[in-house]
Amino acid sequence: MRGTELALPAPSRVASPKVRALRPVRAFRLARHAAGALWSQKGKAFLMMIGTAVGIMLLTAVVGLSAGVESRINEIMQAFGPRSMMVRAGGGQMMGMGGRAASGSTLKLEDVAAVRDRLADRAVVAALIMRDDIPIKAGDQNTQTDVMACDPNFPQAFDWYVASGAPLDEDDERSMARVCVLGATVAKNLFFDQDPVGQRILVNKVQFTVKGVLTSRGTNSMGFDLDDRLWIPLSTGMRRVFHVDSVRTIRLNVRDAKDIGPVGEEMTALLRERHRIHPGEDDDFTIRTPDFIAQRIRGMSRTAELVGGALAAVALIVGEVVLMNILLLSISERVPEIGLKRALGAGRRDIFTEFLAESILVSLLGMALGVLLGLIPVLVIPKLFPMMPMAVTWKTFAYAALFSSTVGAIFGVQPARRAAKLDPVEALR
Amino acid sequence: MIELRGLEKTYHTGGVDTPVLHGIDLDIEEGEFVALMGPSGTGKSTLMNILGCLDRATGGTYTLAGQDLTALDDNQLSAIRNRRLGFVFQLFHLLPRVSVLQNVLLPFLYTDPYPSDAKERAVALLKTVGLEDRMAFKPNALSGGQQQRVAIARALVNEPALLMADEPTGNLDSVASKEILDIFDRIHAQGRTIIMVTHETDVAAHASRVITLKDGRVASDVRRN
Repeated sequence: MRGTELALPAPSRVASPKVRALRPVRAFRLARHAAGALWSQKGKAFLMMIGTAVGIMLLTAVVGLSAGVESRINEIMQAFGPRSMMVRAGGGQMMGMGGRAASGSTLKLEDVAAVRDRLADRAVVAALIMRDDIPIKAGDQNTQTDVMACDPNFPQAFDWYVASGAPLDEDDERSMARVCVLGATVAKNLFFDQDPVGQRILVNKVQFTVKGVLTSRGTNSMGFDLDDRLWIPLSTGMRRVFHVDSVRTIRLNVRDAKDIGPVGEEMTALLRERHRIHPGEDDDFTIRTPDFIAQRIRGMSRTAELVGGALAAVALIVGEVVLMNILLLSISERVPEIGLKRALGAGRRDIFTEFLAESILVSLLGMALGVLLGLIPVLVIPKLFPMMPMAVTWKTFAYAALFSSTVGAIFGVQPARRAAKLDPVEALR
Repeated sequence: MIELRGLEKTYHTGGVDTPVLHGIDLDIEEGEFVALMGPSGTGKSTLMNILGCLDRATGGTYTLAGQDLTALDDNQLSAIRNRRLGFVFQLFHLLPRVSVLQNVLLPFLYTDPYPSDAKERAVALLKTVGLEDRMAFKPNALSGGQQQRVAIARALVNEPALLMADEPTGNLDSVASKEILDIFDRIHAQGRTIIMVTHETDVAAHASRVITLKDGRVASDVRRN
């Protein structure tokens, strides 16, 4: 030994060591050691994390879709009005909001008056008729637009007011005045930069005077231009333009969002009574609430979410079973290591912690890989298919972390227990 | 330092009792270098496992440095191994994936609180076994003798009261064996208590006391000097 002086420390005479619970510092030390063990068997660790990665990738996509749908619903609710409700003439199921088929003449002005009376303290009620693609003309400018005939409650019912000029009022309604209010797009199409207020236009060959122009609402989430509309008094519409004796829609703006449910039920009961509909018979009108619309859209995406979620769960579980078996295998290879560590003073709990940490770490790495892979469809699909909303939210990461560490812990327990149970004498043999 | 009183060990397998140790009474003083000898199957390994707190006796008492270890549970025995004992194995038992230095530091993974001078201690020990220029190497890059020297440094890093060696030269050639035994001599000269299992009388010649077991009993107990 080249004659070096041995400076060995004197034998220790420390007091009896106290046994205490695994402290966080120690658990961290063991976890770091476990990370080193994983690093030294990178290939195996990669195999172990693939299943988790695939599961989390699917989960990320599903959560992304779900978040995208929720934000789309939010946009639609905002456009529709979160406190709004629509009653349409005619029963039966109609898809989405776009069903504008002119059918049903069951809603009479008397119904509107009755609803308005009953709900006067809780909601603003406006009756409405809408017709698509009516030819309009100003000077030598011809175009087509949707014409809405609505009673004077329109601004309050839609929270939509004039930007210039004056709104349609009670006098216009009473006198069936030939006056109109223009949406911003119509105003621009007919008059460019000119002020439309006071100008004359032809609506379906009937002459009208422009009273005002509405504030711009822009395009809704379905790509429909809400400003491409023209508004006339309800009475004028019914008698002078469309020649009908019923309204198409009643729009309610409920003052307190909590009242939406009860108001809907009360209105249903009132209209059924007025229309003499017997119990068991279908309504001859359709009530549309923001909740209804939201559910409709959710229903469409739910199937995709369920299938994706089920696939994610299966992939995750299969992946973790693979992980568990690789871990079990690696434990039988590492028996001498376990024996050595026990001899050096590792308690059963230390061995358990090390192996559990390995499986949780592998799961977390798999999660990171899975989230990265899962973000690709979340970011790319909406670009390719604008109808398929997907969004990245914190939920993606929260769920991914939660699921992978939970599953990693659950499937890591058995191998870790097996490692911890090994008898040190046997293991060292 | 060590007091064994009526130490018994009986294995129960399949309803059959196999007694291995039949009441061993033994005192080992601090600073002794004991060689434990005897033919295989006489309970040497069993006795070493009990002395090393890896196994428990089924009868009698074991007192180490004034502390009765007979009734301790697995956790407490683990802590005793970690603080009071050092192990040197015939097959070295180094962790191949970490460096020589990390191997020496391994016992501290299980020590609370982690000693602030852990690294200094490990480096100092590697110097004393002549491996200061191999600290960053992986064990596989070392010769058998060098690996066993790393193992000795690891066994001493927690300043154990008792160093246990199970045929430490059993897997080494004569040159490496001599190096290792020289180190054991120097550890002994420092006053540390050593128990070493061996089959070879020339290895046992380094010890200050030779205990021979036969059929689970102490057959002879010879002190030198």
